[in-house]
Amino acid sequence: MKKISYTLFLLLTFSSAYAQTVRDLIIQKPVYASCNYNTYPDSIPNDLTPSPEGKKPFYISHYGRHGSRYISSRSGYDIPFRMIAHADSVNELTPTGERVFDEMKLVMADTERRWGELTSYGKTQHRRIARRMLEHFPEVFRDDARVSCVSTIVPRCIESMGVAMAEMKQVNPKLRITMVASQRNQWYMNHQDRKLRKNYMTPEAKKAYDAYISSRLGNSRLMELIFKNPDIVKEIVDEEKFNYYLMKMGLFQQNTHLYKNTYLQDLFETDELYHMWQIDNVYWYIQHGACKLNGGKQPTSQKPLLRQLIADADSCIRLDKPGAQLRYGHDTVLLPLVCLMGINGFDLATDNFDELEEKGWWCSDVFPMAANLQFIFYRSSLKDKDVLMKVLLNEKEATLPIATDCAPYYHWADVRSYCLGKLENNP
Amino acid sequence: MLLMSTMTASGQTVAEELKADPNRGAGNFYALPIGKMPKDTPAPMGKKPFYINHYGCPGSYYREIESVYEEPYAVFAKADSLGKLTKLGQDVKKRLELLRQDAKDRIGELTTKGVEQCRDQIRQMVKRFPDILTPKGYYSCRSIVQNNCIMTLQESLVELSSMMQPMKTNVIATHREDRFMAPQDKVLEAMRWDSLTLARYNRFLALNTGNARLMESLFTDQNFLINQVDPETLSRQLYILAGSIQHTELAGTVTLFDLFTPTEIQSHWKKLNAKYYITNGACTLNGGTQPFMQRSLLRNMIHMGDSVVKREYPMVHLRYVNENVVMALACLMELDNCGLQTDNLDALGDMGWATHRIAPLSGSVMIVHYRSEVGDPDVLVKVLLNGNEARLPIESDCAPYYHWEDVKRYYLRKLYRYENIRLNKEVMK
Repeated sequence: MKKISYTLFLLLTFSSAYAQTVRDLIIQKPVYASCNYNTYPDSIPNDLTPSPEGKKPFYISHYGRHGSRYISSRSGYDIPFRMIAHADSVNELTPTGERVFDEMKLVMADTERRWGELTSYGKTQHRRIARRMLEHFPEVFRDDARVSCVSTIVPRCIESMGVAMAEMKQVNPKLRITMVASQRNQWYMNHQDRKLRKNYMTPEAKKAYDAYISSRLGNSRLMELIFKNPDIVKEIVDEEKFNYYLMKMGLFQQNTHLYKNTYLQDLFETDELYHMWQIDNVYWYIQHGACKLNGGKQPTSQKPLLRQLIADADSCIRLDKPGAQLRYGHDTVLLPLVCLMGINGFDLATDNFDELEEKGWWCSDVFPMAANLQFIFYRSSLKDKDVLMKVLLNEKEATLPIATDCAPYYHWADVRSYCLGKLENNP
Repeated sequence: MLLMSTMTASGQTVAEELKADPNRGAGNFYALPIGKMPKDTPAPMGKKPFYINHYGCPGSYYREIESVYEEPYAVFAKADSLGKLTKLGQDVKKRLELLRQDAKDRIGELTTKGVEQCRDQIRQMVKRFPDILTPKGYYSCRSIVQNNCIMTLQESLVELSSMMQPMKTNVIATHREDRFMAPQDKVLEAMRWDSLTLARYNRFLALNTGNARLMESLFTDQNFLINQVDPETLSRQLYILAGSIQHTELAGTVTLFDLFTPTEIQSHWKKLNAKYYITNGACTLNGGTQPFMQRSLLRNMIHMGDSVVKREYPMVHLRYVNENVVMALACLMELDNCGLQTDNLDALGDMGWATHRIAPLSGSVMIVHYRSEVGDPDVLVKVLLNGNEARLPIESDCAPYYHWEDVKRYYLRKLYRYENIRLNKEVMK
């Protein structure tokens, strides 16, 4: 009976969590529509399941994305900016269009010489995540516990690591922290498989993708709003590109100190944002998901990282007080890793893009700015042979596609052999 | 007095310094030693420090160019394959192999020693200036966008955080501040190695070249030497590598300084030192204006000094920049002997201009501001060069402390004079 009620409870929680549609989420938080530009969830409810009986957390292994940043390169902003500037030069902007142009200038000026840099909001995200990690798992960070950090060699990742560690020292000054940002670790910290990367858009995938997005691109309402004669400016303004990139530009500001100014973001209606999310979500799926249209191998790009995570865990479990291993990297690593491990059902393999939305393959949930994956390990003592672990995706308990008698906990031996299987079955 | 000032605090000449520790021969690639805390002259009655503006070099790091490790090794590998190495040469090849393996995929990265230096610097600062480095202070930490500087900043920040709770910080590494933290000036850059300077420098190199002994100790075959090796280049490369080992974990187990005689070390040091003097010092060969590269930085320093005067709580600016910036800044400020103006490249050491004293790795220029209370009209400053109290080219009744108003007047005039010349030249065009 107890078991049934627990299952019922689980079902209820799941159904309520997933009762929300993507559209609902976008209404609540428009930046959700911009996928990897999504900001980290601001409030993390402290509703973690208590430690399994008799066991305590003793080791944390983590891979996190850098915090909110400025857009990496000028080109994303330049595309709509040049179009509107051209239209302005031939006196084709409506009064609203002029205001939009002014707002875009403001964004351009604000981002100048900051391309790709961590924003102050990005630092705040990492401070909070670090502090919560210590608060939720004090056993791991007791006294002079070891915290070994590795970052990719990208400045925004190094900075994310640094502010997180400074925050941890605020809570426990005795921690023994090491930080490394070296080319030596790039092979697993930021592994890019050239062959996979080059071949993700197969003709089949391209055909299906084009068919999927064709009805979702374009925005004649926006053109009417901004340009005096949308028909005439069509020669200099590509409607589809303008719509897409302007929307991104507007939403991106949620990551910067201009977040309160939502003028550009407010130009767009919910359905327009929603369509962009659909387009991007499918694109990310083709690039990093187990998409059947390109062989489903894209997630295997993160095999080196998964192998390293297992090796690190193997050696740390032997230690009395292993502490924490924290890694700071990128979205294009985290998403395929989550897909490879099948966390929260992200190993979904399909050739029907409509299924993505139905079955919860929503990339914005996986890799907002500062996104993170934490593996928390539990045992009763050093001699305990039955090490348990749980997975937190963005600090929420997550599932693995393997059987367990103690969800949300899993037996490490099971997880390990499941992961090794993933590595072996994907040569 | 002049003679005294060309020596270090311990009274050593450059030759003696090099003899005591050849690592100093690496020039600005010398690792500032850990753990030596300089002494402070007590501040004049009633004055307390309230603001530090710090410009630091990154801590020890691997060389930024891979060829430093690869090129000399390639020469030795080739010679070895042809059986042209002496026994010593073969041993050197093994050492070079260790060095390049150690540096592999770590080009330009902060080393473990660099990390220790950062932490040591912060501990010293907290110990020396407890009035400023308190939980009430505000810490603005900046770095140029270069990984070894960013890592230096982060390590310093983490160390500071372990000593200071709570801690109010603002941490930024942005191109936005390149204007004064990594300035560029095409006019000065074009003047730096003009043809006359280059000719004089090349002649200086020629006069200080003698690699026959070294080459003969390494290679067995004159023909190979003549056809395959540029002795001057190889000798310089080996010397540079010799000075780089101190930063790594191979320090103490591998050396290359044993290949050189003390005279050769001095001669290499001279050449390296002269190159940096021409680049960053007030060398009269190229107009003596290279230090003005850092004029925006000095202006910013003055501006910051003025704008913190009314702050109630102490403040610290920690900035991490390229060591060339620190070197040129020290020259612009004429700290100790750094303002030296001469065209005599041969006598730089005798006149006390030595890069390892100016901007070694983990070195810094720090300006510390003192006052009796908020609103005190007579703010005093002292400048620390690599932690040591520095002499300024300004009169003072309380040296090593100087009246901020005098300091400002002196430097602003200096900057105005130069900027006027530049402006007039622009107008003439």
